[in-house]
Amino acid sequence: MAPVNAVMRIIDVPLRRLQKATGIGGMATFFLAPNMLIFGIFVLLPLVINFVYSMTGGTAFFLSERDFIGGEQYSRLFQCQNYLDPMSCQEDAFWTAVGNTFWFVVLQVSLMILTALITALILNRELAARSFWRAVFFFPVLLSPVVVGLIWKWILQRQGLLNFGLYQFGMDPYTWLTDRNWTFAATIGVSLWAHMGFYALIILAGLQAIPKDLYEAAEMDGTKPARVFWRITLPLLAPNLLVVVVLALIKSVQVFDEIYVLTGGGPGTSTLFLTQYIYETGFASALRNPGLAAAASILMGGVLVVLTLIQLGIGKRGENKGKR
Amino acid sequence: MGEIKLTDVKKSFGALAVLKDIDLHIKDGEFVVFVGPSGCGKSTLLRTIAGLEKVSGGEIAIDGKRVNEVTAADRGLAMVFQSYALYPHMSVRQNLAFGLENSNMPKAEITERINEAARMLEIEAYMDRRPGQLSGGQRQRVAIGRAIVRRPTAFLLDEPLSNLDAELRVSTRAELAALHARLGSTMIYVTHDQVEAMTLAHRIVVMRAGKIEQVGTPLELYNEPANRFVAGFIGAPHMNFLGADVLAVSAGAATLSFSRGYRADLQIGKAKLHVGEKVTVGVRPQHLVVSDDPQHPAVKIYLVEALGSETVVHGDLGGEKVLAVLPGQQKLNAGDTVHFDLSKPVLHVFDDNGLRLFTHPGSGA
Repeated sequence: MAPVNAVMRIIDVPLRRLQKATGIGGMATFFLAPNMLIFGIFVLLPLVINFVYSMTGGTAFFLSERDFIGGEQYSRLFQCQNYLDPMSCQEDAFWTAVGNTFWFVVLQVSLMILTALITALILNRELAARSFWRAVFFFPVLLSPVVVGLIWKWILQRQGLLNFGLYQFGMDPYTWLTDRNWTFAATIGVSLWAHMGFYALIILAGLQAIPKDLYEAAEMDGTKPARVFWRITLPLLAPNLLVVVVLALIKSVQVFDEIYVLTGGGPGTSTLFLTQYIYETGFASALRNPGLAAAASILMGGVLVVLTLIQLGIGKRGENKGKR
Repeated sequence: MGEIKLTDVKKSFGALAVLKDIDLHIKDGEFVVFVGPSGCGKSTLLRTIAGLEKVSGGEIAIDGKRVNEVTAADRGLAMVFQSYALYPHMSVRQNLAFGLENSNMPKAEITERINEAARMLEIEAYMDRRPGQLSGGQRQRVAIGRAIVRRPTAFLLDEPLSNLDAELRVSTRAELAALHARLGSTMIYVTHDQVEAMTLAHRIVVMRAGKIEQVGTPLELYNEPANRFVAGFIGAPHMNFLGADVLAVSAGAATLSFSRGYRADLQIGKAKLHVGEKVTVGVRPQHLVVSDDPQHPAVKIYLVEALGSETVVHGDLGGEKVLAVLPGQQKLNAGDTVHFDLSKPVLHVFDDNGLRLFTHPGSGA
């Protein structure tokens, strides 16, 4: 312990002096400062800079070379005759991406919750090699999104594994990644495969937190399995499900990397999602427009904040109702 | 009716035998308490009766019908769990109604049963609260209420008082006894607290390591324990055990020699003793009597607990720990030496295997 004590004595002196100078409250600031600094530099500052970008025009990258144009980028995004018909909008790609993202979120999140719940329910049962199965369903979560995209590209492409399999069974191969509907379905399927294990894990933890006694009490009462699920399991799982919905929703709105690798947004713009639109508008297109991209990302952030607040509000209401 | 008969009941988890050849006949309306140390199998036995665990062998019969293959719900029993197992997201009323709704009982009857149970248990005031808004004692009542509304043939209670504070435990114990008298149903009650067992039970089942050690009324177990384990388990504080050698045997009497050569003459009745045999003598702390005669065994006191109505003395008799509960307030201090006359108290004498050989009736104080 002697070396530790020696170090402590050395640290002690300046810290004591500092506390004498700043008081106890000052010490709290001192210890929080490094974290606040990192948060400020890497989260808060970019947010502010991004907002400033959204108020500027031109193709130049450096803020100093850009002209202030106020809310022009925003009004350009909203320049539309009919919001339900992207082609009638000035920024048709933006509204296509909004529409695609909307349907992706609705379908992917509801399917995600359903499959994660069913998977967790199964993994919570007494089954052979349970740990193995739990690991199997979780493994895709550990993969890099690019790897996920590539794996599925190998499977789904024209000369991929799936068509090879179909061919072996005497069926005709199909161009999965060039059919609009199939590709859209594939993006949902692949993102389900890649992330479901994570949400199943959260739900599984919730399932295991429900006391066994409750199920035994229900058993003594002769409660049918369906009624046990709807009246006991589901209500007690609600807090975990809320977490899953919030996380899945945020992640789903932000969908990008694995889909970009898999489809590149195509065929056409059928799998162009918001984040890809922002990326391409700001960085990848020939006529890049960082201001427009910034404005779109601010709008997307706003939608996410609103969605999260709504859900937290619902959760808080449920919590008060079900206070223990 | 609520007669429960266990014949040769066995239960193992894998290679681990938790219950070994349990035979027990519980009569209708009886209050039976399973008692024993942690891990003795008492809760498992209750759960096999409930149908929450399947037996590995033997037969369970309720009112003469074999129920081994009958589901927990169809055995007509109700269980009160140690944790109460109330549904946290439902009100008290919903908790009570939940089980009844399963059987498609008409609403009016459910309401009637709930109201009756609520009146009986005095929980009417908080029928619309959730379990989380209730105190431990109130939750406990709701848990019992949930069992009562089902009108079961027998109640199974798994350490129902263990989560209550000491004071509440005493009052709830009395209420449980009153409830049993009122309902007249069979009750099986599991506890590790021998005071609960003594105060509540018609008959106590003492268990150890998956086996029944003795079944009897509380006083039978107290006065005639079958073996050293039961003798030590029933009664508080625990019985003192002293090693002794049989020095001499004559018709109906024997002389025992304790450590340091102290002797005592005991009436052995018809029991058979051999000279030279090693025995264990059990004496309850309350039965020890202080003697003025310095010839009697000397106990060196190392701790005195004055409780006002009685004085608890911890001492050492030739290397063996001795606890005595003496009446009233005694002028004794740590470091003092007192003498106990070992021929006066009731003495239980156990053989090498811990089985009781005989009980010396003693001559009283």
